[in-house]
Amino acid sequence: MDKKVFIKDTSAGAKDQTRDFYTAFIDQLRQRKLENSVQLIRVADIGVYNQGIVVRITPDDFLYGHVEPKDIPRIIDESVVGGKRIDSLVCHHVSKQFRIVLRNCGVIDPENIDDYIAADGYQALAKVLTEMTPEQVLDEMKKSGLRGRGGAGYPTWMKWKMTRQAQADRKFMICNGDEGDPGAYMDRSVLEGDPHSVIEGMMIAGYVIGASLGYFYIRAEYPLAIDRIQKAIDQARERGLLGEKIFGTSFSFDLDIRLGAGAFVCGEETALIASIEGKRGYPRPRPPFPSVKGLWEKPTCINNVETLANISAILLRGGDWFSAIGTDTSKGTKVFAVTGKVKNSGLVEVPMGTTLSEIVMDISGGTASKKRVKAVQTGGPSGGMIPEDFLNTPVSYETLQKLGSIMGSGGMIVMDENDCMVDIAKFYLRFCVDESCGKCAPCRIGGTQMLNMLEKISDGTGVSDDIPRLKRVSAAMQNASLCGLGQTAPNPVLSSLLYFEDEYRAHIVDKKCPACRCGALFRYAIIQDKCVNCGLCFRNCPAGAILGDKQSGYTIDEDKCTKCGRCFEVCRLNAIFRG
Amino acid sequence: MNKMTVEDLKKIKDGRANGKKNWIRVGYSTCGIAAGADEVFATLTEEIKKQNLDVEIKKCGCIGMCYAEPLVEIQTEGLPRVFYGKVDKDTAAKIVEKHIGGKMLLNDRIYQVKLNS
Repeated sequence: MDKKVFIKDTSAGAKDQTRDFYTAFIDQLRQRKLENSVQLIRVADIGVYNQGIVVRITPDDFLYGHVEPKDIPRIIDESVVGGKRIDSLVCHHVSKQFRIVLRNCGVIDPENIDDYIAADGYQALAKVLTEMTPEQVLDEMKKSGLRGRGGAGYPTWMKWKMTRQAQADRKFMICNGDEGDPGAYMDRSVLEGDPHSVIEGMMIAGYVIGASLGYFYIRAEYPLAIDRIQKAIDQARERGLLGEKIFGTSFSFDLDIRLGAGAFVCGEETALIASIEGKRGYPRPRPPFPSVKGLWEKPTCINNVETLANISAILLRGGDWFSAIGTDTSKGTKVFAVTGKVKNSGLVEVPMGTTLSEIVMDISGGTASKKRVKAVQTGGPSGGMIPEDFLNTPVSYETLQKLGSIMGSGGMIVMDENDCMVDIAKFYLRFCVDESCGKCAPCRIGGTQMLNMLEKISDGTGVSDDIPRLKRVSAAMQNASLCGLGQTAPNPVLSSLLYFEDEYRAHIVDKKCPACRCGALFRYAIIQDKCVNCGLCFRNCPAGAILGDKQSGYTIDEDKCTKCGRCFEVCRLNAIFRG
Repeated sequence: MNKMTVEDLKKIKDGRANGKKNWIRVGYSTCGIAAGADEVFATLTEEIKKQNLDVEIKKCGCIGMCYAEPLVEIQTEGLPRVFYGKVDKDTAAKIVEKHIGGKMLLNDRIYQVKLNS
């Protein structure tokens, strides 16, 4: 008998009961002299959360939740020995993750082309080149319903079709790997973990639009991704998968890498093209769209990394297979980088239509602090805050837009009660102000003015008129900015105003920061009744702002205090006041 | 090397069909390397060599569980496939000794269990 029993306490309670339960369980095993044939293992994570003590038995794969010590004998006798499931204890859990884009990430060696080929790599390319016309590929892509994963969600087949229809002696294919949203790193992971799948997607797109040269535009901050893409290109070239007459057909294609120097605006397609051409990364008005006049004035198709990683899977398994996944308007899966105050930060790939709550609570385990989720920020600096009340929203391009946010490239930052919405809005706006290229006035001046107002609000010098003024400047920026950066920069401010106007008012009217983040609007003090003069705060204060000694007691010098909160964290008696 | 043909793709795939029964994958993307995957990989390789075990070890990308890097995924005959997370040098040595050598799963380090199917 080769039974394994995995246990983990998943309750949100203060003390982890796993060890006590382990001892009780192993005692019962010993009584039955089973300790050598059944292995009991404490695990660090069992894949479900807030289900009390969870027991999983393999190879039968029984999963039991809310298990009490009194259930142990029954579990051993009936399930471990008897091989029968105890229905009353079963914890229903279906993995909500579904991997298309990340199918090979962490599974194959990204630096070995044979590993990719063994995982059905380049099969889609072979099929496309030898059995399909570009029109047939377009049909299949149309059927799949794949939309751009870079943020705007433009149908991929339409982009390809327009570039295909444009008349020119040369055309280009570009992969946009200039992933710049704070907290988002899906594309980096794909480039690092499965570079060939992006290359294959580029080649298929190149075949459809009629390009023979493609560029990877990757930001220089991703050295490993660049290195792995270069190795992958070299290996593909060596095998003749890149170059002249691929698979003996008339299709020739080659790839090159261009590095982005770190400007956020270069993720915008016209600025990206300017950057590849060696010019300053300025956006230009559209139309003409890149599909008509792009790189070196030639028709150019630009797709995001994640979009391209979907292509080979779609063509191998069919557009119908892909369109069966997801919602009516948003097909397939989306990779999210879940970060912030979350227990398990990392990459999550789920079918479109999965709810935010399933992503944040079920897959990522909720907040690390076990506090309430206050809001989830999606879409980076162009997106917005989605408050707790709307966490049951299924994720798709349209639903997120309705809530005042966007899908964006897939960053998802979880915030708990200790996050101040004014502070977060200020963070994103500052990011956009720093990254504004300065070409158009609405973005350059509007952004700075809005940031000044937010600074005032968080300093306690804001006035009630600031709120309508913020909205007015936002509208001007949205309507008049030249490119997406300026048009969407006010989004975090607007969405936080929409759902958390109270918090802005608390800053302006009451001069209080409810989350205690804005340093000018709260203070720390020692509650003398509770303080036992242990001196822990005194020793931990990095600013030397705590005065006194063990005999006479301690006080906080507010002039010196930097509001770092260290004393509040270390005090074991809750004798530090904050507010 | 000659140009690849469609048949070559199939040959490579078929040649890999009967891979090794015992293998280790180490998460080796930026997140893994930043968390110390280099040292873990070196220790695993060294220990396997020392004990002369028949195990294939390779560097892979990021599986997505960035919170638990460095991640080591292990397939050993007769055991469920598991991911060990937050692996350091000592744990890496223990994995080779106890998990691969002794066929015993380690406590407190497993972040995911997959069934062999």
